[in-house]
Amino acid sequence: MDSLEIIIKYWPKLLDGTLMTLKLTFLSVLVAAIISPFLALTRANASPMVQAPLRLYISFIRGTPILAQLFLIYYGSGQFRPILQEWGLWSFFRDPFNCALLTFVLNTTAYQTEILRGGIMGVNRGEIEAGKALGMNKLRILQRIVFPHAYRIAWPALGNEIILMMKASALASVVTIFDILGRTRQIFSRTFDFSIYLWAAILYLCITAIFVLIWRQAELRLNKHIAPSDHLSADKK
Amino acid sequence: MSKTDVILEANDIYKSFGNVEVLKGISLEAKNREVISILGASGSGKSTFLRCLNFLEIPTSGTISVHGELVDIVNGKPVNPKHIEAIRSRLGMVFQQFNLWTHRTAIENVMEGPIYVKKIPKNLAREKAESLLERVGLKDRMHMYPSQLSGGQQQRVAIARALAMEPDAILFDEPTSALDPELVGEVLKVMQSLAAEGRTMIVVTHEMAFARDVSSKVVFFHAGKIAEQGTPDEMFNNPKTEVFQKFISKI
Repeated sequence: MDSLEIIIKYWPKLLDGTLMTLKLTFLSVLVAAIISPFLALTRANASPMVQAPLRLYISFIRGTPILAQLFLIYYGSGQFRPILQEWGLWSFFRDPFNCALLTFVLNTTAYQTEILRGGIMGVNRGEIEAGKALGMNKLRILQRIVFPHAYRIAWPALGNEIILMMKASALASVVTIFDILGRTRQIFSRTFDFSIYLWAAILYLCITAIFVLIWRQAELRLNKHIAPSDHLSADKK
Repeated sequence: MSKTDVILEANDIYKSFGNVEVLKGISLEAKNREVISILGASGSGKSTFLRCLNFLEIPTSGTISVHGELVDIVNGKPVNPKHIEAIRSRLGMVFQQFNLWTHRTAIENVMEGPIYVKKIPKNLAREKAESLLERVGLKDRMHMYPSQLSGGQQQRVAIARALAMEPDAILFDEPTSALDPELVGEVLKVMQSLAAEGRTMIVVTHEMAFARDVSSKVVFFHAGKIAEQGTPDEMFNNPKTEVFQKFISKI
């Protein structure tokens, strides 16, 4: 069988794997995106005492390999099976998808929190004062001034983190999940044709490329306030 | 003048940053339609005092009341902090660095306060913002972002933003100090027209001509205290204290 025949025969499996990779990445990034603004605010503003557990969590995540984190949750949970069963959590940890998802959520939340914290710290204090001086309450200031700026500042780094997460999700294949890499390994074990790995690489590359395009378009839209020349010409019409 | 004419009253304001006492018991009242210029060397505490009036700095002690909303400060803590946001919404503020929201257009900057603080419907806020921008001469620039405007234009948008809240008084914190010399005039002109229509204004400034010709009262700060105050006439033609004589002779 040449490599074209393999791809013709096995493309549904690869597609299936692609969907799994996208699902894992999307869900973990989404959950992290919901949690991280709160954690980032805590990191930017709260007292050192309140921050201490958060900093411990973040330095643990940043200081250990994500594969180790995955094993810790996937194999570690097996060690505590009786307790988890007692708490009714075993059905969650029994499923490798859940273990992978939880690992990735914990991982990318830590990174997104730090990235967003940088964004929050970068917001011009004067603009916050202008909000205060108008009588805005704290929530409004966050919603209308701090976060709009913080996300703009953090945007490129967030995009980078999402790409890293997407590629790191290939580790899920180690705990029996059939994502792109999982499917690829499966197909390889049947065909012994190395070219299937090349196709997998191309798939990852395509996902990244499409994502980068979308992310950059969004960035341009978000930053139209700092692209004076375009706007002047648009206004003159 | 009756008591009801007093728009803003600050009583015995003290402010320390760490061990440095910046304000040493300042009292000032602004009556309706009064334009007060605050002069003083840098480090005299004039900007800090202005920022205390709307609690961008919390005084160490003292009392501030704006149109009946009173906040007492004891040991650096406002006794009734709930009034702070109310006071702020009644006082406009124009900053040295403009502090426009750079991610919003001129008109969005002006609409923001009315919509999100005063809860005015969007279409009304837009109409009002348009007429205010027209008033400061920027109707044709209203859809531009701050980065596309000159310093003088940005400061005029900032003035329109303050006016949009229909404040009882407007605080100006060195509004022309960050501007190129040729742009100072356009901002001063707008401020002058506000004074002429009877707005109550408190202006920290280095523009002697403005203090002398536009304001109704001049207050001179020296080392955290009010060293001298009076009408511009008295102050500039017949300065009483040595420090103020020295100050105006340098300019």
